[in-house]
Amino acid sequence: MNLRKYLKVYKKFLHTSLASELEYKTNILIDLITAILSLIGSIFLLSIFFQNNGYIGGWKFEQALIIQGIYTILNGITNTWFNPNLTEIVKHIREGTLDFVLLKPIDSQFFISLKKINPSGFLEIMLGFFLLLFCIRINQINLSLSFLSLSLITISCSICILYSLWFFISTTTIWFVKTWNAIEVLRSFLYIGRFPLNSFSFSLRIFFSIFIPIAFITTIPSEVFLGLSQLWKILLEVIVASVFLITSRKFWLFALKFYSSASS
Amino acid sequence: MVQNIIDVRNLSKSFDISSKEPGLKATIKHFFRRQTKSLKVIKDISFEIKEGEIVGFLGANGAGKTTILKMLCGLIYPSEGSILVSGYLPFRRKENFLKNITLIMGQKQQLIWDLPPIESFYLNASIYDLDKFEAKKRIKKLSEMLEIDEELFIPVRKLSLGQRMKSELLAALIHEPNILFLDEPTLGLDINAQRNLRKFLQKYNKETNATICLTSHYMKDITSLCKRVICVHEGAISYDGKLDLLLKKLSPVKEILIVCRSEEDANKLENSGFTVKNKIKNEITIKIENNSITSSLKTILNNFDIEDLFINEPPIDEVIGKVLIKKDYDI
Amino acid sequence: MIFNLINRKIFTLLKVQYSNMLEYRVEIALWAISGIIPFFMLNIWTNNNLNESINISDVMLSRYFLCAFFVRQFSVVWVVFSFEEDSLMGKVSPYLIQPLNPFFRYFAQHLAEQITRFPFALIIAFFFFIFNPESLWIPNLGILLLSIISTFLSFLIQFLIQSIVACLCFWTEKASSIERLLFIPTLFLSGLLAPVVSFPAYVKSWIYLTPFPYLIDFPANLLSGNETNISGGLSMQILWIFLLFPLFKKIWSEGTKKYTAMGS
Repeated sequence: MNLRKYLKVYKKFLHTSLASELEYKTNILIDLITAILSLIGSIFLLSIFFQNNGYIGGWKFEQALIIQGIYTILNGITNTWFNPNLTEIVKHIREGTLDFVLLKPIDSQFFISLKKINPSGFLEIMLGFFLLLFCIRINQINLSLSFLSLSLITISCSICILYSLWFFISTTTIWFVKTWNAIEVLRSFLYIGRFPLNSFSFSLRIFFSIFIPIAFITTIPSEVFLGLSQLWKILLEVIVASVFLITSRKFWLFALKFYSSASS
Repeated sequence: MVQNIIDVRNLSKSFDISSKEPGLKATIKHFFRRQTKSLKVIKDISFEIKEGEIVGFLGANGAGKTTILKMLCGLIYPSEGSILVSGYLPFRRKENFLKNITLIMGQKQQLIWDLPPIESFYLNASIYDLDKFEAKKRIKKLSEMLEIDEELFIPVRKLSLGQRMKSELLAALIHEPNILFLDEPTLGLDINAQRNLRKFLQKYNKETNATICLTSHYMKDITSLCKRVICVHEGAISYDGKLDLLLKKLSPVKEILIVCRSEEDANKLENSGFTVKNKIKNEITIKIENNSITSSLKTILNNFDIEDLFINEPPIDEVIGKVLIKKDYDI
Repeated sequence: MIFNLINRKIFTLLKVQYSNMLEYRVEIALWAISGIIPFFMLNIWTNNNLNESINISDVMLSRYFLCAFFVRQFSVVWVVFSFEEDSLMGKVSPYLIQPLNPFFRYFAQHLAEQITRFPFALIIAFFFFIFNPESLWIPNLGILLLSIISTFLSFLIQFLIQSIVACLCFWTEKASSIERLLFIPTLFLSGLLAPVVSFPAYVKSWIYLTPFPYLIDFPANLLSGNETNISGGLSMQILWIFLLFPLFKKIWSEGTKKYTAMGS
């Protein structure tokens, strides 16, 4: 694996993709407005929940906002990288051009995952960042080195888990060309990530920790933010993230094998 | 001694297909239980190709040509048998193997739609580990050969089909592969573009000694490019050898529809010794061998009163079918 | 006679689309599952006893969300995405030549999918009642019929709105981002995530002037037996349809005039 080559190729992906996307400027504006409205809507919903209660699942309103911030950043990352590339692979399968990808002397997962980028997602990421900065202020959080490094670790793990989930769905396009349904299911479940895990009943909490790891994606990084997290949870998240990454890779290689023996 | 660059032995390929009858009732049954059956599409084929050859795979639609090509590229796993291309097992898709080959598919694009072709070229260059200087040199050389220039700086979506095809070729050849696989490359192209493509491939083969394997169901692609042809019929090779030998042995005939001025004339023509396919009133269709067309036509025009004349080549499937029936063709 | 002709066309369309839908059984099941958000929201509501403040019992709230799920299942619309995809692939031109408005085709597609989806929705409802046996009830026939009509009206409203947005494809290439933007108010204001009765007063004052509460909140309340103004709600739904339909026709005819074949 030549790291320099992959960096060079990624720079090219960035360049070509941005050049294509910037041809559609109004799109970026609309996407930004959508992201802002979505955040406002979720905060509105949250405020309805907190109308007559001070605490939900042990979280205060100001603390629950942190989860919204992290969710927005992760959603922005999804819209920047995961979504556009998923659309690309659907196009490849439909038009029969996946063969071109497989014949290039470069790792196909790298190519498929990173070829496109949607710049409007960047704005959403920044939106989430600003919200987080605001939350740091109102929750009077101490910015220590350990805080920053732990936050970075847990958010990176969340990104890895999210990536694996999306890439898993991208891989299934090899069997079911139209994956909009699977994406909708994923989105529906991920939407839960906007709320504290403990606001759900016990059985759902288990469900969202084991089967669909929403807990790991938003709650644990938020706990780290508030300094409430325990080391074992962070370690667990790292392990879960690694398992997801490795499994998604293996599944992709398996799918390619199927594609090679079943397509004509 | 020139090496065998492609070596195929006893290659077979089977697919599992899900089968379904039409109609609503069958659809509901299919909903609950899917049936599959195994289809053998490539049946025990063997051949060798030497470096620098241009080989055409000829066959009707669905004969298996594309499957063979994709197995040579490594895109499809063989079910049985062995393939060696440049000493590599194609389906392992080793980096050095991939840097040596290229696949061009008719009507399928790899260029980025919204950007000028030149951007896609540089992207490919970085994927194939070419530095910018080298890439620039090759782009220049290939664009001269393909006769395209300013088109390279216009977004692909604004180019004509012919310009797009040339750009696709350039993108596919920028890494100077020495084996080219082309799958129905002239599909959807107009006569000029087809001719240009064939001329280019000939020039490329001469200058770089690249091996070229192409599939087509257009006879013209094969006759103008390939000295050797492999005929594929229902997954098996029915002929593998020199093209002119094949053409000579087939002695294809042409069908001529003659519209006579009167039914009497048509009757006279019918009884004058030509092979008649059918006759309706004053229109008669006769079959004449290719090598005697000029003389036969001269005779007809001199001795009969003709109103109109249509010459048809029999469809390619008939020609191929003939090759299948007369199975005694060996290299 | 013309009525018979149209009837026959629609019937054949329906039959063909239904066959189409059966092909994609996994996809349909996934679509049904993706409608699951109301149940998660219900969980947050009941688990934290949030409903006490709005004077709705646990049982009634459960029924509301179950009905919201059903209403959503049978009124969800995706015509923008189909139309945009078809127009990018150049499929719209042949449709325009046929003596049938292409949106009929999409309409039939939607109806066919709803029919296919029905068994899956029933299964989900079955599981719901297993987990919440005290919520089990059978609505009386009159209410059931009215709810079905109301749901269908909600479907029509959403179909018309989305079709109008879809027609924007004639002017811009990415009408789907506009739809994603419009989805936000639909999601938050329609009652899918929280019954409108729980909204603060300053929102309730203007929300009934928009079509949103009539998309989920009204039909769900109707079906679940919550207090609601039946005649008022139905008439508002019909009013919106009368407003949207001519608007759609106008934009459609303007759009086809402006139409240039794309994507070939």
